[in-house]
Amino acid sequence: MTETPVAELLARIAAGDRAALRLLYQAEATRLFGLANAILRDRDAAADALQDAFLRVAQRAQQFDASRGEAGAWLGGIVRHAALDQARRRGRERPSDDPALGDAAVAPEALEKVLAGEDLKRLHWCLATLEEKYRRGILLAFVQGLSHAQISDRLHLPLGTVKAWIRRGLLQLRGCLT
Amino acid sequence: MSPTEIPTDPVEREGLAAEYVLGSLDARDNAAVEAALATDAALRADVAAWEARLAPLHALALPEAPPPGLWDRIEAALPGAATAMPAATPAPAPRPAWLGLWRGWALGASAVAAGLAGFILLQPAPAPRLMTVLLTQRDAPAWTVEADARGALRLAALNPRPLEGDRVLQLWALPEGATAPTSLGLIPASGQITVTPQGVRPQPGMLIEISLEAPGGSTTGRPTGPVLFIGRLSAAGAS
Repeated sequence: MTETPVAELLARIAAGDRAALRLLYQAEATRLFGLANAILRDRDAAADALQDAFLRVAQRAQQFDASRGEAGAWLGGIVRHAALDQARRRGRERPSDDPALGDAAVAPEALEKVLAGEDLKRLHWCLATLEEKYRRGILLAFVQGLSHAQISDRLHLPLGTVKAWIRRGLLQLRGCLT
Repeated sequence: MSPTEIPTDPVEREGLAAEYVLGSLDARDNAAVEAALATDAALRADVAAWEARLAPLHALALPEAPPPGLWDRIEAALPGAATAMPAATPAPAPRPAWLGLWRGWALGASAVAAGLAGFILLQPAPAPRLMTVLLTQRDAPAWTVEADARGALRLAALNPRPLEGDRVLQLWALPEGATAPTSLGLIPASGQITVTPQGVRPQPGMLIEISLEAPGGSTTGRPTGPVLFIGRLSAAGAS
């Protein structure tokens, strides 16, 4: 069985095709559950997040515009936000809050994945060109799901500074990626 | 917060979309963006562009099988759940494409590695031309090596560890086709060093090795102790 492209499944889901949602789950659940668990670090919470995410996909599939975005990225965004909502609901408390960068959720094996794509290498190099103070905030937010306030705690910096650095870093990142 | 509070200034909108995708907004602002997305196509486009930019970072999360039975829960929670689909054979979890890619030596990547720590090791400039990751004999990433356009090699330990006794680590380069390696010197305890090799120029295919040596290092022109780490330079991904 060849896998149906995610974008095509989304189009079918938008048209009310329930079987397509199931196919999407079968094809993507492992990747997406990993994404939710990287933020939540709690399998039960990650399962709740994935459930929310698939309900949102069923609801919002028609918002996906293939001419403006990549289906896998869109799907990842839905799951990350469902996970972040779970985290907010739980006060963003995490079982492990190791201040050392790169704790369990970002596995050592992450390295191997870096090799997978040119786009990641490109992003990596763009991140590498940012000043470290900008880069750290961006990565803490994206990979560990920390809020501005949590990053400010973690880095012992005023909230306003964290916000300004993240904003500036993101805009520089866009400049580099364009 | 109502959708009308979404800023009209394009730079502000772009920044808000970026922070929404990043996930760093507080619950209130996040909800405002979420609500606006339903009706604001331009904001949706900004968000989609940022999703695409940052999506490569999704690869940092390890794929993990969800608990069995989760699909049934989802299906039961769908509106109009009674129309259950005929049971299909679950597809096997796809084997991540990257799994086979990394086992060799030609690791054309660097340090997203070892969590985020790698980013801190990287110096922003100049952009490397060649790079590799030195692996242990068990294929665990241990060092990043980058060569810039001027021929300087930058070495950084991902997980610096003290050595036993008075042993030292010595860095070697072996150009493709060469029969003997060239010593690039001893690696300081900090695990970080930048060297500009004399006599050899970093090039794709060049082997980089680290051997464990007695104090002072090997003076024979070849490693005398075991080669602990090895990797081969290849072109850096940046265009």
